[in-house]
Amino acid sequence: MKERNKPILEVKGLKTHFTTKRGVSKAVDGIDFTLHKGETLGIVGESGCGKSMTSLSILRLIPSPPGKIAGGSVLFKGRDLVTMPEDEMRKIRGNEISMIFQEPMTSLNPVIPVGEQIAEALRLHQKMGKKAAWDKSVEMLKMVGIPSPEKRAKQEPFQLSGGMRQRVMIAMALACTPEVLIADEPTTALDVTIQAQILELIKELQTKIGMGVIMITHDLGVVAETCDKVAVMYAGNIVEHASTEQIFADPKHPYTQGLLNSLPKIHEDQEELITIDGSVPSPYNMPAGCRFASRCPYAEDICAAHQPDLVSYSEDIKVRCWKYTDKWTGKRDKEGVV
Amino acid sequence: MTVQVKTEQPDIAVKTLIGGTKESRIKDFISTLIQNKAALAGAIIIIVYLLMAAFAPLLAPYSPYEIDLENKLTPPSADHWMGTDDKGRDILSRILYGSRLSMGVGFAAVLFGAFFGIIFGLVAGFYGKWVDTIIMRMMDVMLAFPGILLALAIIAALGPSLINVTIAVGAFSVPLFARIVRGSTLEVKRLEYIDAIRSLGASDFVIIFKHIFPNILSPIIVQGTLRLATAILSAAGLSFLGLGAQPPSPEWGTMLSSGRDFLFSAPYIALFPGLAISILVLGFNIFGDGLRDAFDPRMKK
Amino acid sequence: MLMFILRRILQTIPVIIGVTFVVFFIMQLVPGDPAVLLAGEGASKETIEAIREQLGLNQPLYIQYFEYLTNVFKGDLGVSLKNSQPVLDEILVRLPITIELAFFSIIITIVLGMAAGIISAVKPYSLTDVSVMLVALLGISLPSFWFGLMLMYFFSVKLQILPVAGWDSLLHVILPAITLGAGGAAIVARMTRSSMLEVIRQDYIRTARAKGLRERIIIYKHALRNALIPVITVVGLQFGALLGGTVLVESIFAINGLGRMIVDAIRMRDLPMVQGGVLFASLIFVVVNLFVDVFYRFFNKRIELN
Repeated sequence: MKERNKPILEVKGLKTHFTTKRGVSKAVDGIDFTLHKGETLGIVGESGCGKSMTSLSILRLIPSPPGKIAGGSVLFKGRDLVTMPEDEMRKIRGNEISMIFQEPMTSLNPVIPVGEQIAEALRLHQKMGKKAAWDKSVEMLKMVGIPSPEKRAKQEPFQLSGGMRQRVMIAMALACTPEVLIADEPTTALDVTIQAQILELIKELQTKIGMGVIMITHDLGVVAETCDKVAVMYAGNIVEHASTEQIFADPKHPYTQGLLNSLPKIHEDQEELITIDGSVPSPYNMPAGCRFASRCPYAEDICAAHQPDLVSYSEDIKVRCWKYTDKWTGKRDKEGVV
Repeated sequence: MTVQVKTEQPDIAVKTLIGGTKESRIKDFISTLIQNKAALAGAIIIIVYLLMAAFAPLLAPYSPYEIDLENKLTPPSADHWMGTDDKGRDILSRILYGSRLSMGVGFAAVLFGAFFGIIFGLVAGFYGKWVDTIIMRMMDVMLAFPGILLALAIIAALGPSLINVTIAVGAFSVPLFARIVRGSTLEVKRLEYIDAIRSLGASDFVIIFKHIFPNILSPIIVQGTLRLATAILSAAGLSFLGLGAQPPSPEWGTMLSSGRDFLFSAPYIALFPGLAISILVLGFNIFGDGLRDAFDPRMKK
Repeated sequence: MLMFILRRILQTIPVIIGVTFVVFFIMQLVPGDPAVLLAGEGASKETIEAIREQLGLNQPLYIQYFEYLTNVFKGDLGVSLKNSQPVLDEILVRLPITIELAFFSIIITIVLGMAAGIISAVKPYSLTDVSVMLVALLGISLPSFWFGLMLMYFFSVKLQILPVAGWDSLLHVILPAITLGAGGAAIVARMTRSSMLEVIRQDYIRTARAKGLRERIIIYKHALRNALIPVITVVGLQFGALLGGTVLVESIFAINGLGRMIVDAIRMRDLPMVQGGVLFASLIFVVVNLFVDVFYRFFNKRIELN
């Protein structure tokens, strides 16, 4: 399944900044990752870490002003989306790269029948006729498991449940058989049972169409279930990038370790949930050194002074931490501080 | 901490000011207002008009009433910047004196409307239930009269005069204030601290006037400013119809009305009083918009 | 929906009764004895007494009101003090003129207002937006009676391309309709703009963008339909202001409509005529509001159910 040779999406040094009265907020501050055909990449992190802004930046859907892509490139099949003219970009949105949003309740237009909301993309991108597009949208609704799709297609979003709306969103995103699907917290707003169904559905359709999926989530459970590899984001940066098995088995970055530690463990008798102390630095005022330093149990002098790079730890693991460089003294370990 | 109060009017969503020291709140508010250049321009226009009204006798080059038939209907000149009317009176002087009447009527009418509207709104919002129903149905009935027709009916009964215009225009603002005050009162009433004060044994009167009223001032001020614009327009309109101030009064609407007979030969008689009204109303409108934005947390970035 | 319409119709009944009460009550404010007023100056005591008897003026107030109410529902709005003709007859002669004027004005309010609002909202804070909003600000600030006179001066006196006053041809409608519709258009423009800007921030607009739709389709198909729903209410309210405004505009352009009738009646102290005119105009407004509410409800139901 995984073709390691040529990625379909290659994000390099992507930076998205917001200029407001309070200053410049570096929401996304130099992100690199690649996505191959049929592969699922998870982007995890706390809310506000820049994961949603990363996904919106790929499709250039950042509200602008105040947002702006300040640097980097997004290569899609070799073409740079960042510098592409707007009308070319439009041909890619919803056609070759699609998106599913977090809020199924508000992400569908309340006054347009759902069938039409799917069909309009088909007419636009696939140059289908009215009838053909409508039939295809009914078929899509059927494919995502909506019962009596002919009837549902004519209904407006308010007549559908939350789970059904998210299925509609998926049908809409997949209607033009995209090569990349960006799912931004696709299940967060849904009930647990429906969550599993939706994830199952995305996986199933992914195998069918063979598309690459970027799964944006804060839920490590979702990552474990769906992703091949994971990028962990913290304060606008990727701090660790590795395969899913690797991340869960042997997390390298102290932040990733913290995230995994904070997962409630079913088999252990836990007294309380473990949390990471401290708080995320303000995006308006990023520290000069490692952004996690103030919360990191291992932090040394160099951590506060200089920002580490994302470097390869092994062939499959990249990590942004001084601990895995030759600059690391390990003083505190020796002194038995930790 | 700020609490947003949604009033029933879609256009006016204003936060009430709760918490923080009084000085810091006022400072915040004024700095927001000054940053809003339009609001500042509005405030300047209003201040200039207020000064005009206050110092009319000093500023006016002529008496507003003095008839000078030898110089009647002269176009604007160095002697008469805005020309003279059909009786030879200096239009500039009349406009300066008229500002007292036109603005006075506007302020008086809004104060009158706000007074009753605030009381009705506070009582309806605070007591709720049947009191609310009765008061608000009454207000609905008053709002069922289109535009200035309610004012017109009142003048028909009381007779044309500037005082009656004030009453009529004021009456027409009562339901608008009542609605906004009621909406804001309902919001503030839900806050926990009102319950706390009540449990300390404060009387309804104290709760309403000492605790609720100060917190709903901002929507009232915004509404009041915007109502001033409408009130001045309506009052001038009624005088224009001959139902308010009577000639030879230099009230702007009345001046416009007499100028209309000379629209062909001396259009400036109608031009300047109309400009005077327009600029003043514009001032209140942009100041009111600015106030609303300054009070409205949604507009802040 | 049918239930809503029925309930809404039932709700207007107390409002209509309330309006008759207010109109009746206001006329009780008339200083002096209405019988003396009706009889005219120098009438004998007997005549005054006879009038009082005839009109039931010596009955208690609530009986007088009840009679007034019954008469109103029978279509009897009293007789004019000036020519003793039924008030309703006069109103029905004047009404078509005012309705025609109101119709053209509300078209200007809606079409001009919405168009300006959309143009502004498409490129917020651009030069176009700022200019349009500046004009709209002027629109709500200019007194209609002055604006009308100035239009008359430019188009009828200076350029002489439009008739000064009167109501004979469609050309006569242009200036009064603009004068009357401009203020409402300005308000509708401001409302449309802010509503559009609100809608453009919504998630479903982002979805539409993510679909690759053209900006034009996003604005006109996805945003506009949602943005115009709250504007419907504003248009309804503007209709009231517009009806009131006919009083001024009909006076300026010498149009013999309902508004001018009321003003003339006030000048001549013809109180039944004023009473009838104000009542009738208010009833029209109540009915229009009823339609607007049903209309609004129809478009808004899906949003409310969310």
